[in-house]
Amino acid sequence: MSQSSTHKPAPDDRTSSDVALSVRQLSTSFRTGQGVVTAVDNVSFDVMQGEALGIVGESGCGKSVTARSIMRLLPEHVTSYGSDSRVEYQGDNLLDYSERQMRDIRGDRIAMIFQEPMTALNPVFTIGSQLDEALVYHTTLKKAQRRARVLELLDLVEIPSPDRRYREYPHQLSGGMRQRVVIAMALACEPDILIADEPTTALDVTIQSQILRLMNDLRKKSGTAILLITHDLGVVAQMCDRVIVMYAGQIVETAPVDDVFHDGSHPYARALLDSIPQSGGRKHGQRLTTIPGIVPGLHNMPKACRFADRCEKKEDRCEQELPLLEIIDNQRQVRCHFPQHAAVTGAS
Amino acid sequence: MSDDTQSRSMQKFLRHRPAIVSLAIIVIYVMIAATLLLSSVVTIEQTLRPVGPFNLPGFGGQKLPEKRLSDIERDLNAINTALRRSDTQEQLRGVRSGSLVLGVTDPQQLRTELDDIQSTIDRLYQYEDLDLMVEDGTDNAPEMLEQLGVAESRTHALFQLPPGQTGLGRQLELLLGTDQQGRSILLRGIWSVRVAILVGFVTGIVSVILGTTLGLLSGYFGGWVDNVITWIYSTFASIPNIVLLIVLSFAFSGGEFDDIVNGWTGGLVGRLVGGPLEETLVPVFIAFCATYWIGPCRVIRGEALKLRELEYVQAAQVLGYGRIRILLRHMLPNVAHLMLINFSLLFIGAIKSEVILSFLGLGVKKGPSWGIMINQSGQEVINGFYWQIGTATVFMFGLVLAFNILSDALQDILDPRHVG
Repeated sequence: MSQSSTHKPAPDDRTSSDVALSVRQLSTSFRTGQGVVTAVDNVSFDVMQGEALGIVGESGCGKSVTARSIMRLLPEHVTSYGSDSRVEYQGDNLLDYSERQMRDIRGDRIAMIFQEPMTALNPVFTIGSQLDEALVYHTTLKKAQRRARVLELLDLVEIPSPDRRYREYPHQLSGGMRQRVVIAMALACEPDILIADEPTTALDVTIQSQILRLMNDLRKKSGTAILLITHDLGVVAQMCDRVIVMYAGQIVETAPVDDVFHDGSHPYARALLDSIPQSGGRKHGQRLTTIPGIVPGLHNMPKACRFADRCEKKEDRCEQELPLLEIIDNQRQVRCHFPQHAAVTGAS
Repeated sequence: MSDDTQSRSMQKFLRHRPAIVSLAIIVIYVMIAATLLLSSVVTIEQTLRPVGPFNLPGFGGQKLPEKRLSDIERDLNAINTALRRSDTQEQLRGVRSGSLVLGVTDPQQLRTELDDIQSTIDRLYQYEDLDLMVEDGTDNAPEMLEQLGVAESRTHALFQLPPGQTGLGRQLELLLGTDQQGRSILLRGIWSVRVAILVGFVTGIVSVILGTTLGLLSGYFGGWVDNVITWIYSTFASIPNIVLLIVLSFAFSGGEFDDIVNGWTGGLVGRLVGGPLEETLVPVFIAFCATYWIGPCRVIRGEALKLRELEYVQAAQVLGYGRIRILLRHMLPNVAHLMLINFSLLFIGAIKSEVILSFLGLGVKKGPSWGIMINQSGQEVINGFYWQIGTATVFMFGLVLAFNILSDALQDILDPRHVG
């Protein structure tokens, strides 16, 4: 399987100096009791400096494994990466780094926040001491400077009365407040990239919108690139510049966010959009649109198109041959033999 | 706000009267044990030598008349036997009643006195059942008791205390009576507090530290570390500590093991424990610690498996913290409550096991323990003497009950789901 983007560089005006992180042919496999399964298969993408890149897909499509592979958080004794897989950061391949070297990257250069704010903070320490610890670990600031920086960070994530919150324990904060603290912690060392793994899934809708707006403001202020992993297309629409749609461990479409929402090329991307309930677009009693079938299991992945079983536009070729990720126009790639795009340009 | 939470717990605790009483009782026990460990107010020798007559009831109580009569007769018989021997003087010096030695050594004087007392008790023997008479309060009961008292005091007058056993100290020693060898029950009971607290603390602390360390390592690292540790504790769990203790007491007996250990450490161990290891609590400590760490290890391994996947531990990892830092700073404080709970379970469990094993003759080898006291009081109970078994059980009951009440109260107070 060759990755088209490596042979034919995307015809755009991006230069390598703008790239904050570059993922190339990332394949992540796990040794399990039933043999080796490949959870992420040949995934390549770039994260530009200061951009917000979304990865969407349903549960089990490999989006979280992609993020954890970048951070090297997967259990090492069962995980293996493809021989030509590379995660390039400032010219180095993070997959070759030792655990010791990774520790200097994590938190300092690439930070990550998780889904569940309720358990993301250690219950036995105060907010202040947890933020302080990150600074102790990665900086050489003096105690008074660190305190000033922590208060500044709490202020930055719009937590009211930072002085008081500094001395409080996580259980005294609401979920939204905790997620703000988690974001403050991730931003403590001004990382280049922030990986957010479903950061708002556990929050209610109003808080979700506040947190997203906060993250976007911080991105614009600090220039930190955000890699946002989510299954919520609404979140992507609000946050992201570009979006990667993943299905069964592979990228099926990469495009600027507006293009996907107006005019998805891959049948899966279109089907996802059609599944979003529209107000007023449906008669009373009419069923919601769904995608029929289920995702193929990791143990018996089809050799041909992985979406073929569930695709409305399926033809014979789809069940015989795996489509490549083709560039169909500027900044846009799709993995389909019959992309449904008005202006198909680069079909092979 | 956190100060409020703490002070609220404190107020709850202060309002919980049984908990306060229990805590006070435990503090008293621990202080007794600490005093005995750090000073020589009571030495092990004091618990092993006779201090008074055999089976003396506590609080200056009287035995039943029949028993008093037979005690007098036993003393008289001892003297008579000595008098009939050819080396009379030699034999008389050896006559004892408990810790008391014969004060009068003139054979002629003794014979006269003995005849007098004998005639008094012979009159008393004419009655069928003295105990029943006293109980029913028959007319001649007071007169009869008076005669018994006279005979008793005249017998006792023949004996005298060995030097150095006088005053308040002696009254305290006799406060709870004496056992069948004339040893002070109070001193033996108190010495057993030292043994129990020592066994409880050493076993509890060592087992919890060992179990926590291995449990955390096992749960956090997983893989082969987990396999090895799980294998070790499964193996140890299959050894009953009674069997282990029997094996150890064989290993330690004869002093060969001592020689080996002292050879390794240059005599350090011998100087430290001040005697053969067999006679110390070391075999008990080893047997208990070798098996008791498994409980905390299992529980904390399970908790570590859970914590490892929690997001604040993963967050610590993505902040770039090292593994040791994550273990010590982020996991250890979150299992501290389990360490406390396990300590309180093991502490009381070890004390109870020590008593049972000592009762079976396997635990404490030198000096008293509640188990040994209960074991020795078997014959006494048949004879209607309850002071030794009573003392041992009340001492033990007090400690165990206080500890259980305190644990329950703490659980009520500290459990956030238990609002009230």
